[in-house]
Amino acid sequence: MSVAASLLNESLIASFERAGYLRVAPAILHPAGPFLDLSGEDIRRRMYLTTDARGHELCLRPDLTIPVSREYLASSLAGQPQGFCYLGLVFRHSRAETDGASEFWQAGIESFGRPDTAVADAEMIALALDAAAHFGLTEPTIRMGDVALFSALIEALKLAPAWKRRLIKDFNHKSSLAQDLDRLSISAAQAPPEYQGVLTALAGSDPKAAHALVTDLLSIAGTTAVGGRSVSEIADRFLEQATLGAQTSLPKEISALIEKFLALGGSPEKAARQLRDFARDANVALDAALDLFESRAGLLGARGIDLDRIRFSTAFGRGVDYYTGVVFELHDPDERVKGQLVAGGRYDGLLTRLGSASPIPAVGFAVWVERLARLRSAA
Amino acid sequence: MTHPFVIAVPAKGRLQENAEAFFARAGLDLVKPRGARDYRGSIADLPDVVVAYLSAAEIVDLLAQGAVHFGLTGEDLVREHIADAQRHVVFIDELGFGHANVVVAVPQAWIDVRTMADLDDVATAFRLKHDRKMRVATKYVNLTRNFFARHAIADYRIVESSGATEGAPAAGTAELIVDITTTGATLAANHLKAIDDGVILRSQANLVAARSAGWGTAERDTARNVLDRMAAQKRARAFREVRTRFAGCDAALLAEAKQRFAVETPFGGPTSSGMLTLHCPPQHVPALARLLREKGAEHVSAVELDYVFSRANALYARLEAGLGPAS
Repeated sequence: MSVAASLLNESLIASFERAGYLRVAPAILHPAGPFLDLSGEDIRRRMYLTTDARGHELCLRPDLTIPVSREYLASSLAGQPQGFCYLGLVFRHSRAETDGASEFWQAGIESFGRPDTAVADAEMIALALDAAAHFGLTEPTIRMGDVALFSALIEALKLAPAWKRRLIKDFNHKSSLAQDLDRLSISAAQAPPEYQGVLTALAGSDPKAAHALVTDLLSIAGTTAVGGRSVSEIADRFLEQATLGAQTSLPKEISALIEKFLALGGSPEKAARQLRDFARDANVALDAALDLFESRAGLLGARGIDLDRIRFSTAFGRGVDYYTGVVFELHDPDERVKGQLVAGGRYDGLLTRLGSASPIPAVGFAVWVERLARLRSAA
Repeated sequence: MTHPFVIAVPAKGRLQENAEAFFARAGLDLVKPRGARDYRGSIADLPDVVVAYLSAAEIVDLLAQGAVHFGLTGEDLVREHIADAQRHVVFIDELGFGHANVVVAVPQAWIDVRTMADLDDVATAFRLKHDRKMRVATKYVNLTRNFFARHAIADYRIVESSGATEGAPAAGTAELIVDITTTGATLAANHLKAIDDGVILRSQANLVAARSAGWGTAERDTARNVLDRMAAQKRARAFREVRTRFAGCDAALLAEAKQRFAVETPFGGPTSSGMLTLHCPPQHVPALARLLREKGAEHVSAVELDYVFSRANALYARLEAGLGPAS
């Protein structure tokens, strides 16, 4: 990194510190497990993996969100509101989107434990915009989505639990869920088992007895909880599948409704109006998620951010399943530099999955400082 | 000759025995001049060829690096260890032994899981319930990842396992496995069952060429010699030679024989004296003999073939198509 670039990055971090964020420098070498658990196996091919003398799998950190989260959880501050900032190298096997580099610098902020969700969200987006402006990009393209809205929609729909799980998971992993909606099915290729009728009848009339029967049958067969799922868990899903019956493919009207939802977007004000209308017409309760959406937009406006510049889309996701709320990316409007320049979002579930006993809200973003520097020199 | 033509062959086990038998059938006698424990050998009457006896993993590595020309190894290992395998190697032929499937297997107790779609759902439910991802024990990390991605399964973790993978669920180190199986007996003994649509790869021993090995005219010539014998032997094994002679043999009869029994006429139709030579797949020989006699043949003889050399060599053609023109 050149001296000029160093100075620019350091002054960015200094501005984060002035905003009250504690600077941390997590280890470069980390256990690989949390990254594979939380970012998915797909990241394995892009990580630099190694093994220690005891056979534990280690990696060069491919991002800093998980390392900072782990440091916070291990510290005495765990559970309390505390924000952190960082500037450090991350390592990924090169491919086009990392600009051919195998290591690159990221700056960023992670904010933990704040109960004032909308305020923290708005502050994060404002700081992200400040970071872009720090490199001379004052009017980036702002793309925004909200995972909580999709979750609320799915929660409100009358659907079998298996469908809800599947739709939420696919929303987080597919760039365009809409295209997939048509061909989604659960075991549709398979004929139902011959005992399905009996089970459906039984589960319909007396769910408790059905559960006891399946559990007993499994025990008689000498089945033990091999493979980490309890007999009760297996019996539950077995009956759930049996009673799913005809619903092995997504009901047409539901799939149409989801497609309609995923087509909504625009500026936050326009999107909020559309979403209120949608919720009323479809008779689904999205109130809590929509209230948060609107108060966040209001706070952004109060911070002087021109809301008409925000391109909100209900279908926008970041392809990482730990996000639970707002997600955003800043891009170069002239596309001189490809890929996101700043990106982040809310990830309230992450710290629990990293071992926290109680849920801790979290929101943050990362800055691709080298991309921004390139943009600055291109300007 | 400065650069020998290297063929890598498995150094031990059933695969080695099968490989040697395969070469022997093709008239390629593998010889170890310095005794059975030697790891380098040659082929009688092909002085340009060096046979390197190596472990299966080494063979795949050397193919990827182009340090050997041909390797004889399981398709599963090639697909697992060489990313984007088609760019680095040419699959010349399946050899008909070393059959094994790479499959996804789950505990038999999972009576609610029959398909990959079920597994997808269970994986997500497992993550939501236990706050961790389901673990898949396997040595096929890449095959597993690609297959699971094709089925949109995201909620899983791979636990690398180098031996006794099928014991992992019982030992509590994984929930399910991806492993190689031939009969399914090992799976059953460990209370596991394969998922209906969970066959990742139907593998068998393959003859594989390394694209980045040296492929000058000399090497191509040697490859053509080796493949010529393999192709001649392969074709010979696929047919019996059926001969007969009778007056009523005509084009209509030949057309019927071709249509019903996939018979070939390598030397054309009947000669002026009515002599006819046919190549017929072994399973159709009795029925063909019956047809010929019904049409008037007094005697029909059928013999096994050692070699059928043809002008066109499908195996060499495949190699050349894969390698591109000589540099």
